[in-house]
Amino acid sequence: MLFPTVEYALFFLAVLSIAWSVYRFPKVHKGFLLLASYAFYGFWNWTFLPLLIGISVFAGVVAKFIQHSNSRGARNAWLAVGVTVCLVVLGYFKYSTFLLANWFAFRGWFAPSPPRIPIISPLLPLGISFFVFHAISLLVDCHRGKVTEPVELGDALLYVAFFPQLIAGPILRASRFLPQLAVRRNPDAIRVNRAFLLILSGLFKKVVISNMLATRLVEPVFSVPRSFGAADTLLAIYGYAAQIYCDFSGYTDIAVGCALLLGFHLPRNFNAPYKATNPQEFWRRWHISLSRWLRDYLYFPLGGSRKGPLRTGFNLMLTMLLGGLWHGAAWTFVAWGGLHGLLLVVYRLWSRSTWHELIAIHNSTAWRWIARILLFHAVCAGWVLFRAPSFEVAFDVFRRLAVPGATTLATTPVCIVLFLGLAGQYMPSRWGNALEVELGRWPALARGAALAVVIALIEILGPTGVAAFIYFQF
Amino acid sequence: MFLTLVGFSVAILLLESDGLENWANRLEPGALRCVAQPIASALNRALRPLGIADARNRTLDEAAHLGWSDDAVRLARMNPTQTMDTETAASQSQTSHAPSAGTRPESKSVLIAAAAAPIVGSVPHSVGLVPLTPIQQGRTRVVVLAGDSMMAVGFGTDLMRKAGEDKKLRILRAFKSGTGLARPDVFNWLDQYPAMVGSEKPDVVIVAIGANDGQSFVVDSRVLSFGSEEWRKTYQSRVADFLATVESTGARVLWVGLPPMRSEPFNQRISIVNRIAYTVVSHDPKASWWSTASYVADASGSFREFAATSNGGLVRLRTSDGIHFTEEGASTMMAVLMRWLDPSPESSNAMRRLPSANPLQPRVPNRPAKSTSETSGSLIADRTKAPASLAHRGQEP
Repeated sequence: MLFPTVEYALFFLAVLSIAWSVYRFPKVHKGFLLLASYAFYGFWNWTFLPLLIGISVFAGVVAKFIQHSNSRGARNAWLAVGVTVCLVVLGYFKYSTFLLANWFAFRGWFAPSPPRIPIISPLLPLGISFFVFHAISLLVDCHRGKVTEPVELGDALLYVAFFPQLIAGPILRASRFLPQLAVRRNPDAIRVNRAFLLILSGLFKKVVISNMLATRLVEPVFSVPRSFGAADTLLAIYGYAAQIYCDFSGYTDIAVGCALLLGFHLPRNFNAPYKATNPQEFWRRWHISLSRWLRDYLYFPLGGSRKGPLRTGFNLMLTMLLGGLWHGAAWTFVAWGGLHGLLLVVYRLWSRSTWHELIAIHNSTAWRWIARILLFHAVCAGWVLFRAPSFEVAFDVFRRLAVPGATTLATTPVCIVLFLGLAGQYMPSRWGNALEVELGRWPALARGAALAVVIALIEILGPTGVAAFIYFQF
Repeated sequence: MFLTLVGFSVAILLLESDGLENWANRLEPGALRCVAQPIASALNRALRPLGIADARNRTLDEAAHLGWSDDAVRLARMNPTQTMDTETAASQSQTSHAPSAGTRPESKSVLIAAAAAPIVGSVPHSVGLVPLTPIQQGRTRVVVLAGDSMMAVGFGTDLMRKAGEDKKLRILRAFKSGTGLARPDVFNWLDQYPAMVGSEKPDVVIVAIGANDGQSFVVDSRVLSFGSEEWRKTYQSRVADFLATVESTGARVLWVGLPPMRSEPFNQRISIVNRIAYTVVSHDPKASWWSTASYVADASGSFREFAATSNGGLVRLRTSDGIHFTEEGASTMMAVLMRWLDPSPESSNAMRRLPSANPLQPRVPNRPAKSTSETSGSLIADRTKAPASLAHRGQEP
């Protein structure tokens, strides 16, 4: 079920009404939300529901074992078992054919004989990367003692499957979400206007900006790069930077807004990432829940920056390469992760320089803007690898940047949405807060009507049809 | 929150009653539609006198006027001198004087016969392609790519990329994912296609459509269950009408047969769609059938996701959904297809020079083979012309 559809709107209105009718009975309330989450997931494909339930039950049971184990060895063993099983499941569904294809390619260098068995890859369950990461987070947080209360199986199931974040995050921490399940919801404490603004902002980003950029600018150029000159190619690269940001942050805004209406707080996942002036800051602003997950559950356990500069560089590269692979089983994603790893390593060396002149440059306003522009273009280069179906297409796109040619795709609507997608990140956050306060002064009926008018306008401005969110595939 | 939701619900019903009815009409026949459709229709009828739906339509027209719409029919209706393709505005077409939307070309007598012909029991694996005439010096061949996501994903992309290397070919995009011929109430190709193509006079139309058509539909308030006799006849007539529409500008048509699908129940549905489409196409001398199964299926004609390359590696022929072609999968067909579109020797040379990620491609015969069974000397898109490297299970040419 996609967020910007009538089906989801009807589903969510029904869930919202029923959830707030039963919130006084926490067990019923949680049970209902769990069933609603399974209905939401099953709407796409019921066949993978047992997998989702299975992973959740498994993680919940192992989490209990971890909590109940007295010895450190037993806790470590349970954690190892739990994480291994989760990774094996993820690996089977997401990476098995990728590994197999690469194995045959590698083997072909030495003994070029075709494989004798028919190879069929497993169908990829929607959102598997996200719910497996949730399961791992539950296990690790229990192991680290960050989940202090005994884990209830029902709570574990709801944590993994909670529908607003089930398909594409943000990636919740068990230690942050489970305590929310322990207290009764309070309808008076909900920032309704904040939630509505988030949902509207998400819909606008997805339906108008992302969809229009995708259909009118990015898809044509990345399909046939050789048909376009430098101007269109550059515009399409900028367009994809805006598209993927609006697509993913739009999804997150809707998810956070819906969760807020249900009385739950999901973490912020984006914070104007293209305003970043260095790669480290970029990853503190882009897909924040994933970068924190990778930092806490991969980079820190590897040793982080405590084991010398060489090991730090290695840890950064490995974390980012695996982060790239998490996005998809393809070498283009690995290269994208590698590029970001390299940027982080270079920045680390640069920022630790003790040369006074360099430090003076670092701190100047002019340099901050230059750094921002340089970083944005480096990130855009990464997006080419991320978007292109193959290295051949990616290199075609890069090559076209050197071929002169006027733009044929820069229509007024495309330029407007591109501007909004990129420049919108410079909108002061106080505007949103002011709007929230202003809405709070309106009569409730008028507020609801205004919300409906904006949604109708978004529907008019958006292209026909609803494209799936980019991050659904991950 | 309750009052806000009430305000929202009332206002959205007032503003979007028309859209809500459209949504309900587009639902597949089933329980949800049974409930939603009468309610949405009644609501829209009741609210229509308020004039909000008309105002919404005028706003949509205004938005289209300012370039915000991708609805080809609306654009053609509003401004007959400008049209745009649906999938993207990147069409290379120079359009003018679009025919008025909604006009249905008269079906030719052959297509009337095709619409009534008995449906074949199976689609042959090897079907002859009647060669196109060589492209005259200094002219370009205009090729339209029409269809649903079977064209948009993999096949169309690879074809556009390859055709982009041939200056004698000009490709127009007229595809729209999520559409089909079974549900003109959702997307009417008879209206949309002329609006997409505008005043262009394509020489060839390549059609890949039908993957979304394995569903029941409603005709005159009656549900025609998928596969029923009545469904088959109605669908057959829709295929014939569509074929007549794309041929109305004098174009030759290449109908891309749908490949075997991964899910067996879905495959069975697609096989019915294929048989009906083939029945119509085979009765039309201006249309040819392109058997994709010859290239991407296994030796028994079943679904195959990967093929072995000549160096022992694997190449993915189909996307992980088990439905669409990957570009590498589409690449296995492109050499023959490109030579059909442009039979000149330079084209063959250009194809040889094309960089390709597909290791299977160099093994494709660069010269079209002649059929021993076709007196017209037609090109054969069949298993015997499949790339040699696909031959690891008895498919050696």
